[in-house]
Amino acid sequence: SVQAHKEEDNPQKTMEVNRFTPVPNSYDYDLIVIGGGSGGLAAAKEAAKYEKKVMVLDFVTPTPQGSSWGLGGTCVNVGCIPKKLMHQAALLGQALQDSRKFGWQFTEEVKHSWMTMTESVQNYIGSLNWGYRVALRDKKVTYENAYGEFVGPHTIKATNKKGIEKLYTAERFIIATGERPRYLGIPGDKEYCISSDDLFSLPYCPGKTLVVGASYVALECAGFLAGLGLDVTVMVRSILLRGFDQDMANRIGEYMKEHGVSFIREFVPIKIEQVEEGTPGVLKVTAKSTAGDQIIEGEYNTVLLAIGRDPCTRKIGLDKVGVNINEKTGKIPVNDEEQTNVPYIYAIGDILQDKLELTPVAIQAGRLLVRRLYAGATTKCDYVNVPTTVFTPLEYGACGYSEETAVEKFGEENIEVYHSHFWPLEWTVPSRDNNKCYAKIICNIQDNERVIGFHVLGPNAGEVTQGFAAALKCGLTKEQLDSTVGIHPVCAEV
Amino acid sequence: MGWEEVQVRGYSEFVTAAQSYRGRPIFAFFCGDKDAEGKSWCPDCVTAEPVMRKELNNLPDESVFIYCLVGDRAYWKDPNNEFRRNLKLTGVPTLLKYGTPQKLVEEECFKAELVHMLFTED
Repeated sequence: SVQAHKEEDNPQKTMEVNRFTPVPNSYDYDLIVIGGGSGGLAAAKEAAKYEKKVMVLDFVTPTPQGSSWGLGGTCVNVGCIPKKLMHQAALLGQALQDSRKFGWQFTEEVKHSWMTMTESVQNYIGSLNWGYRVALRDKKVTYENAYGEFVGPHTIKATNKKGIEKLYTAERFIIATGERPRYLGIPGDKEYCISSDDLFSLPYCPGKTLVVGASYVALECAGFLAGLGLDVTVMVRSILLRGFDQDMANRIGEYMKEHGVSFIREFVPIKIEQVEEGTPGVLKVTAKSTAGDQIIEGEYNTVLLAIGRDPCTRKIGLDKVGVNINEKTGKIPVNDEEQTNVPYIYAIGDILQDKLELTPVAIQAGRLLVRRLYAGATTKCDYVNVPTTVFTPLEYGACGYSEETAVEKFGEENIEVYHSHFWPLEWTVPSRDNNKCYAKIICNIQDNERVIGFHVLGPNAGEVTQGFAAALKCGLTKEQLDSTVGIHPVCAEV
Repeated sequence: MGWEEVQVRGYSEFVTAAQSYRGRPIFAFFCGDKDAEGKSWCPDCVTAEPVMRKELNNLPDESVFIYCLVGDRAYWKDPNNEFRRNLKLTGVPTLLKYGTPQKLVEEECFKAELVHMLFTED
């Protein structure tokens, strides 16, 4: 049985929760959302629209380095938002270089201040955290900065940072706890390495950095750090951007190599040691080859781990309510209505098995789920043809199938790939690369040459891709694409 | 010691006051100038003030509450006035916790719940 301190004013309610006591029928809340990130907040705000009594629990367990943040989840605090702003900072550095060729004259050498950038970014994030709290309070959604875990049927325990525990019951729950960066499990990793959770609020310039990993997180971070003028090396175990079109992934890697990022391929770190304390200090990294016995060593000011993210599903009491998770990955399998195997418990966002880990997907899933629960809607979240963009120095936008997956699903003889390099007009004057930007579409010959994959590598790839995603959703065919007159002079006309 | 109120008019008086209370939590309410009868040219400020005043006794101990008249309507409408440029104010009334991104603007100031949250939560 579980007994916890409850500071509620319902003494008549049975608060002992064990196998033999029936669960009370009148719950504290209609809906409790565990996790105040992209998915959780969207679902909570939507439910409040239908006058439901909603609570959001959000809590950030500090990183090994002590970093923490406010309401809003990964995207707002340690993901998309700060990432894009720092990517922009790097792009502006490049633009300053280009500007001389366009006639701008300045004699001073251009330097970058990590502190100024980070302070501005964190200020903006702070305003977003506050904005979410105002929005929740305004819509009468109860928000508690507390760690939520299931303790029994329909019952959750919320523990705040002072250790005070409260119990709450609800008719339904949505789990939206997201993920956190994975560590290597080698000596020195937690003591000395940082992750993306720490990078965007780092109170000192990271200096010479080793990025471990080849995910989009690794490449985006390596990309902007190099763009800000830092010495960056990326250590890759095997391939770049697993799950993405590999031809595009390799082009991204080549571009980064030619623009100041070093790559160490087929090695993994086995030990991290501190050579010198400081902010930053000096770390010694020992790495072993995955292809043989070779051992190498290197010294860096900062080691950034970006080797993957793990769902926050292991310590939230799912066993107490019988929610199944994939034991190996920690992900939660759901049906096409985001329902777990326990009918009153739902899950959305990055923790879902076999679904895309993207903010807009979590938001969409959350909103549609709540509309189905409380507004009689029937629309389910469409996970097909979701566009994405990787904000590496040369941006990559994609929607639909990669070339490999298309070949696998439809057969090589049934697909046709149309492709082209292009040279953005803005790159001509400053003599930037004329053979790097690239676009391709993958068509299904058996279905009217329907466009089933769209890939573009070039500036503003995200902006370009968004419109094409809508076209793909409408069933765009090659003929329709050909008959669409281009806008000139823009990259997208290719 | 509870909280104390300081009344100022204009940007430089505001800055002087804020600097002199450095180290203590500072809250500020920005309002359009008042006429001889004590009525502001800004109707939203007139609505917000009683709501805000009612919540003042929830301010944390040691806080300073700066009540700031920004100027006349013409001064406020100028897009380059010092409040807009330096404090990034976008409208009056504005109620804020100085040195943080926490603020309430215009109709948000009418809501006691939000004012309460600004004054009492971290």
